Amino acid sequence: MIEKTRFLACAPARAFELLTERAGAWWPRDRRHTKDPDSTIRIEPTGRFFERAADGTEVELGVVRVFSPPDRLVLDWYPGTGPQEPTSVEILFRPEADGTRIHLTHRAGPHSAAAYEKRAPAYEKSWTLVFEAWSEAAASSPEEP
Amino acid sequence: MTMHALDALGSPFRRDILVALRHEPLSVGQLAGMFPVTRPAISRHLRVLEEAGLVELYEQGTKNIYALRAKGFRSAHEFLDSFWDAALDQMELIAREDALRAAGRPTGPR
Repeated sequence: MIEKTRFLACAPARAFELLTERAGAWWPRDRRHTKDPDSTIRIEPTGRFFERAADGTEVELGVVRVFSPPDRLVLDWYPGTGPQEPTSVEILFRPEADGTRIHLTHRAGPHSAAAYEKRAPAYEKSWTLVFEAWSEAAASSPEEP
Repeated sequence: MTMHALDALGSPFRRDILVALRHEPLSVGQLAGMFPVTRPAISRHLRVLEEAGLVELYEQGTKNIYALRAKGFRSAHEFLDSFWDAALDQMELIAREDALRAAGRPTGPR
């Protein structure tokens, strides 16, 4: 399980909007599944969570399970696992004096505990991710030049 | 000198080998039985993967067994962890820029 907390210098409603409507602005450019670093990423109240490249290619990134502005967002998260074994991302927005504290939890989805424990095999499904996982390792391991 | 893993992964066939090895370590002979290619061809691909740090070779009796190299494939946990660090850094930056803009101050070059 991954847990992160971060302070954003805006009200919870704006923070929620930033996360959902402007996902393309924060999603790391080198982690785009369509290979288009300027792709559009949408997290919609309709339930869709997807990426669209300039050439129109669309990739489903997951499903929006809870879209509850301004305090809670829950996503089924496919990247690295696929629709059969989604992981789950929950983001809570807590107001603070001059901004918002967001708490992010990325964990095994209710149906994918086993898949998440054996994370590496899930990467068979996406070779982009296989490569990225490798380059992460290469960058962080002193043994790998 | 290790070969860049991108090149090693550039071949769909080598990716298939990695998929097979994710289940269990296998000998060249076992791998050759799984794919419609010659044994020398398998060996050649395995050498490329070995040079890229993605597989490692060990001896078991008289057989050479290939296994995925754990250090070559760091867990998805680390991958996701760094993904969220990068994403949250960016969110933090955007929120700060928005706040500065709202306060009527220049935000500097993007």
